[in-house]
Amino acid sequence: MNKDAWSGVALLAVAGIYYWATGAIPDSTLEDEVGAVGLPHVLALVLALLGLILLVRGVLAARSEAATAPEDEERDARLPRALGFLALGAAYVLLLPYVGYLLGVALLIGAVALYEGAPRNWTLPAAALGGAVLYWAVFVKLLGVNQPVGTLFQGLFS
Amino acid sequence: MTTFWDIVHLLTGTPLIPVAIMGLTWGILGGALPGISASITMALVLPFTYTMDPAMAIALLACVYIGAEYGGSIPAILIRTPGTNSSAATVIDGYELNRQGRAGEALGISLMSGVVGSLFGLAMLVLLTEPLSWLALAFTPPSYFGLGILGLSVIASMTGGSLVKGLAAAVIGLMIATVGTDPISGVTRFTFDVPDLLNGVEPVLVMVGLFALTELMSQSGSVSLTQLKESVRIRLPGLAMMNRLKRSQIIGCILGLFEGLTPGGGGSIAAFMSYNEARRWSKTPEKFGKGSEEGVAAPEAANNTVASTALIPLLSFGIPSSNSTAVLLGGLLMHGLLPGPRLFEQNPQVIDSLYVGSFVAIIAQIGVGMLLLPAAVWLVNRPRPYRAGFIFALILSGIYTLNTSTFDLGIALALGVVGYLMRRTGFPFLPMILGVVLGHMVESSYRRSLVLSGGDMMVFLQDPICVGLLLAATGFVVFSLTRELRDGRRARAEQARNHKTHGQEAHG
Repeated sequence: MNKDAWSGVALLAVAGIYYWATGAIPDSTLEDEVGAVGLPHVLALVLALLGLILLVRGVLAARSEAATAPEDEERDARLPRALGFLALGAAYVLLLPYVGYLLGVALLIGAVALYEGAPRNWTLPAAALGGAVLYWAVFVKLLGVNQPVGTLFQGLFS
Repeated sequence: MTTFWDIVHLLTGTPLIPVAIMGLTWGILGGALPGISASITMALVLPFTYTMDPAMAIALLACVYIGAEYGGSIPAILIRTPGTNSSAATVIDGYELNRQGRAGEALGISLMSGVVGSLFGLAMLVLLTEPLSWLALAFTPPSYFGLGILGLSVIASMTGGSLVKGLAAAVIGLMIATVGTDPISGVTRFTFDVPDLLNGVEPVLVMVGLFALTELMSQSGSVSLTQLKESVRIRLPGLAMMNRLKRSQIIGCILGLFEGLTPGGGGSIAAFMSYNEARRWSKTPEKFGKGSEEGVAAPEAANNTVASTALIPLLSFGIPSSNSTAVLLGGLLMHGLLPGPRLFEQNPQVIDSLYVGSFVAIIAQIGVGMLLLPAAVWLVNRPRPYRAGFIFALILSGIYTLNTSTFDLGIALALGVVGYLMRRTGFPFLPMILGVVLGHMVESSYRRSLVLSGGDMMVFLQDPICVGLLLAATGFVVFSLTRELRDGRRARAEQARNHKTHGQEAHG
């Protein structure tokens, strides 16, 4: 199967899950003719139809297509790398309540730079810490945003 | 009616001037970074505007847009890499001029042509938007439904070559818009007992996730090979040169106006069209492609005109015609400002700030553009790994600012994955954004109309504005589909011709 066919399968799955989730929408005494489930039902059906079209088109096209193009292979190889990049963001989100904003941002900048191939020398921690202080000054001091202090350091700052 | 004193108050009694210059500065720097388009530059700054006064926030976003359109031409001229999509046409002659040792001159022509285009676009914005807004008084729930449908019809021209994928992206956007509290009955939908989802998914999260995070993920692991020359300085064109460039700038302005008003038009198309027309009407067409000053002036005038004229359908009817205007629409929605006719009635200060702020930014662009060039060059030359780390931290810090919620960060990251997969499989982003921002208006106005009419569907055909808008939407979809089919037929015919030629060559 080619990418269109896989996309079609994914759309069908999304449509199915979305339709199933409409079952949890409660009834209301203020219900109008269309109701809270009216549009979601239509959307799920339309998406399923589009998914089906894409699946059929993809399967038909796959028969006449040659082997995977080198460009596609190269892009496939970059998927884990891209997901790894985002995983650093997810780690930041998970650590933020514990380590707080200042340390969290320093770790994020350092980790991303390292992941992207920055050389392991003094510049790396200097840039990470400098960036964290800069962002802390802008967001916490200048804009007054209540960024998390972090449970690890709560005793120090409270 | 805005008086002279209102403008004086805006300039002296509000922080509009620093806001405009900040927006312009950010726009130039963001636009100068290859891979960071005008819409991404705007999306990056969007969360910061959350705590700002709405009028200042919208002015800031508009100024970022203006700055990014100029900023994109800096790497286009210096390293043959357009900073934004719309500066791609500038590469052709801008880089040739650079190779001839005339980079400063090319940057100066780009800057001044951008100023000319921006001023013309702003004048058109002021002149055309207000008359269109007079329709405001006659708008009813069915009219708003028609307006929403007209907005969604833009999808037909934004499908990126596959109508099915464009429609699917729009449906997913509409699905995201249904999360939260139902606009009529007040029951919760798809919240899964998570309190953070009661108000739905904010459009800004979708935009930042799709545009900014997806771009960072796509660039992960890539290497920046070219470095900018740090010694380059801008040389503004003299009067004689400006006189020579007049024809190409006029062409750029006119085509920029036309493309800005056309849903799906955008700066890239305007820039390439004006480049071609400038060559056609030029006294020295042979210089195009070999370092023609007119070849820089025409596309730069065009894409800068679009930065203003694309706001006309957005402000008048709430229809975003490009990614950048969709982000601006997100900004309006984030501040509870209903785009479209009511904006003029209820929040004239927002419109005034946008106009005056844009004017300030355009004029300041000459000085700021010259002063910022070394900073932009420095920024572009930073090692990519550090740049990625700083941008990623900036995005996540900005998102947290919205509701001081880590849940929002999770949503944005998840949408980053969705965006990355969409890009890999050829699904366009704009239909999804349109679905998210227009979904609520379409559903609530449709259902309100039916409640008011007692369930009579004829209510949509009894409202002349609704009928007009629905007809316009139908016409636009038919026109776009016809164009797509025609282009498809041409491409297939071209392919068949190429096959035939190759076959004959092989036999020969």
